[in-house]
Amino acid sequence: MSTNDDLPVAVLGAGIAGLVAALELQRNGYPVRVFEAAPVIAGLGGTHHDDDGFTYDMGAHFITNRLAAAIGVSGECRLVHRYGETVHLDGRYVDYPNGLLKQPRFVASALKARVSTPEGDPTTAAGRFRRDYGTALADTVALPLVEAWSGAPADELAASVADKIPTSIAHTMLLNALARATNRAISVGYCWAQPMTASVFHVYPEHGVATLCERIAEQLPGVIQVSSPVQAVIVHDGQVQAVRVHDEEIPVRAVVSTAPINVLPRLVEGSDRLDRYRRFRYRPMVLVNLKLRGRNLLSDVVVWLPTGFPFFRLTEATQSMPWLAPEDKTMVLCDIGAEVGDEHWTMDDDALGEYCVDHLEGIIPGVRERYLGCRVVRTPIAYPVYLAEYEEDRLALKESTGIDGLLSVGRHGEFSHNLMEDVYWTTIDRVHRWIADQKAGELLAIEAEERAAAVGDDEANPVVASGTRDMPRA
Amino acid sequence: MAGVAVDTGSGERLLLEHVGCPICGRTDGEPIGVGEDFEYRTAPDTFLAMRCRDCTVLYLDPRPAPDEMGRIYPDEYHAFDFTESEFGVIHKVRSRLEARRLLKCIGDVPPDARVIDVGCGDGFHLDLLRRYGRSTWSLEGVDLDPRAAAAARRRGLTVHEGTVEALGLPEAAYDVAFMIQTIEHVADPATVLRAVSRLLKPGGRLIVVTDNTGSPDFRVFRRRHWGGYHFPRHFSLFNDRSIRKLAGRTGLEVVGVETIVSPVNWVYSIRNLLDDYGAPEGLVSHFTLSSPAALSVFTVFDTAFTMAGKGALIRAELRRPA
Ligand SMILES: Cc1cc2nc3c(=O)[nH]c(=O)nc-3n(C[C@H](O)[C@H](O)[C@H](O)COP(=O)(O)OP(=O)(O)OC[C@H]3O[C@@H](n4cnc5c(N)ncnc54)[C@H](O)[C@@H]3O)c2cc1C
Ligand SMILES: [Zn+2]
Repeated sequence: MSTNDDLPVAVLGAGIAGLVAALELQRNGYPVRVFEAAPVIAGLGGTHHDDDGFTYDMGAHFITNRLAAAIGVSGECRLVHRYGETVHLDGRYVDYPNGLLKQPRFVASALKARVSTPEGDPTTAAGRFRRDYGTALADTVALPLVEAWSGAPADELAASVADKIPTSIAHTMLLNALARATNRAISVGYCWAQPMTASVFHVYPEHGVATLCERIAEQLPGVIQVSSPVQAVIVHDGQVQAVRVHDEEIPVRAVVSTAPINVLPRLVEGSDRLDRYRRFRYRPMVLVNLKLRGRNLLSDVVVWLPTGFPFFRLTEATQSMPWLAPEDKTMVLCDIGAEVGDEHWTMDDDALGEYCVDHLEGIIPGVRERYLGCRVVRTPIAYPVYLAEYEEDRLALKESTGIDGLLSVGRHGEFSHNLMEDVYWTTIDRVHRWIADQKAGELLAIEAEERAAAVGDDEANPVVASGTRDMPRA
Repeated sequence: MAGVAVDTGSGERLLLEHVGCPICGRTDGEPIGVGEDFEYRTAPDTFLAMRCRDCTVLYLDPRPAPDEMGRIYPDEYHAFDFTESEFGVIHKVRSRLEARRLLKCIGDVPPDARVIDVGCGDGFHLDLLRRYGRSTWSLEGVDLDPRAAAAARRRGLTVHEGTVEALGLPEAAYDVAFMIQTIEHVADPATVLRAVSRLLKPGGRLIVVTDNTGSPDFRVFRRRHWGGYHFPRHFSLFNDRSIRKLAGRTGLEVVGVETIVSPVNWVYSIRNLLDDYGAPEGLVSHFTLSSPAALSVFTVFDTAFTMAGKGALIRAELRRPA
């Protein structure tokens, strides 16, 4: 058996997950090659600038000072002073969470939910939200939003959907109060892998969120190949052997995939261990960015719309990042949950713009006179749908893919609703678990070699033929 | 003025470099503190203090590249000119206190002992040894910053300018070495300790004094404002466990590790917090090295913690094996 110690690790995808994985491997002395299907890097973390002076991320992106510092782009970031979310209910804006808590019907049912102790933990999103928020608030606000967002009934979704929604109302209120007092947008709910504290607040790169991926890529010279989709991951005896790119087989030591987990089984040749992930579904999304005259047209940066609109969320990113649009203009992003090929998905861009404007009249008076045009992005894989039925397989993925030398990381690779900072820390963690395994393996090999040497040449173990490779500096 | 911090850091962003744990090299640290150069505002960048999951040492990652040293240590940096006229009474009190501590550390040495202070700054400690120690001792300093070395020479002290690793000082020649608030500044603490160890006679001792991350001031302010971070100038920060581990890695024996009193990190943590949240300059200026009230209050305060083994500074006595 030959050694594959000097072979590169192939990284599939140059979004933030793939880039961070590659940098982390490189820092630890492993040769890497990154293959990106698209002609540009950054994936969902990309930025587009148009001729009218507007800057768009994929959707709207908010990041933290901690992520910017970790990547080393904080010097190009500006402070975000404002961030807030409201719910639009029965034709009125209601603050989250304070405003909602002032409505007697919600308070009563929330209190009732608190005192009654149901047996065991709820397994579905519907049960979990009703327990945490009370039936009234869950049925009027939380569940309709979750359903619009995921495109599945709440009683078929896993309870873990709620893991990514700030449930400690006291903590949220404290951080919001501190944000007002310090005039900076303290980050609530944008990272779960690390503590949420008053020292973690929103900042944003001068030139858009793509700066993050660009900075990491600069540290990987000669490593990234764009327009190079990985066509196959070749597995033999449960162990990764090679990848196929541009019809050529490239032997590799391991593969770090950031591809959607339902696509990965189609790429793997020589193993069916990942086949159970073929059934996993992502929620497609039609993102309509309206360019409008004026500023501060919404009551807050993010407005949630549980019912009555084709979009479930509006975002006016210029309230946080004023430099994303020309001075007297703004953007309102309308998020429409869709299915590929449905009515919204197939509508042409201009018609979609008009359609959103029509529906916004009740929220932004005079919106039609303000309307300047739109930019539409359709993504078939915006959100992982946490069906309760997936839960066991989804959690297993956090441990391993079941194939030696194949890691699946990133938002789609973990099938987890992770934002950029979570993707950053969890990817580093996953890569290091692999590195630790490699080192443990090398130690075992060296021990075996020593034992073999002690026993005598004829019994030498062929597996340890070359147990030495340069390890990172101690 | 709230929130000026990130908006107005001065000038161009710094050139940064990624590093791993200064003791074991691991690169998957845990982010603990996020902050800025609250004291000197030399750069617009935000910095991250990471903690090694094995060693518990804290390290700045990413950190300013070697070419940026001139920028992050501006001319008005306090270690360059800590003169009597500028700090008056405080200086006197601090001098007495320090002299006592230093002499206790030196302990029993031969009359012709050779003592070296690595990272001597403007020569504050050497000057105390000259004034309060034995006149037969021979005292030398090392500092890599020409401005610091010049300040120490003006006091009539012998100073080698450069890094201790590269200076080619005589090996196995010194009885005692000091590194007082130095180790946290150096790029590679293990290399520096090995170099200092070679200078020591067999059985010679090295006294390391540095900020203690096992202290209550760290606990309270670690997320952002802790004075000991001194962003972005403190590259590695230690506690009892990590300083022992570092010593072990460099072949030095640990004679003892204890904590000592210092009000400075308490005072600067509060200063940084006030400054960060836009408090008026008049209030902020009450929390610096030149404010007797704050320093005295927190000296008393920290004395209580030191008695419980959790003082703001840590002092490790290390020995080159005989
Ligand atoms: C609408 C929306 C809003 C969001 N808002 C925020 C926000 O405000 N803040 C925040 O922090 N995060 C936000 N996120 C999440 C954030 O965008 C993602 O977590 C992050 O960008 C995911 O990075 P990734 O590398 O895991 O995946 P991706 O960025 O999707 O990268 C995967 C890459 O792999 C490539 N690829 C796929 N298959 C192959 C193949 N076979 N061969 C080669 N390459 C392949 C793709 O082309 C892609 O470039 C948002 C996401 C969405 C959808
Ligand atoms: Zn370590």
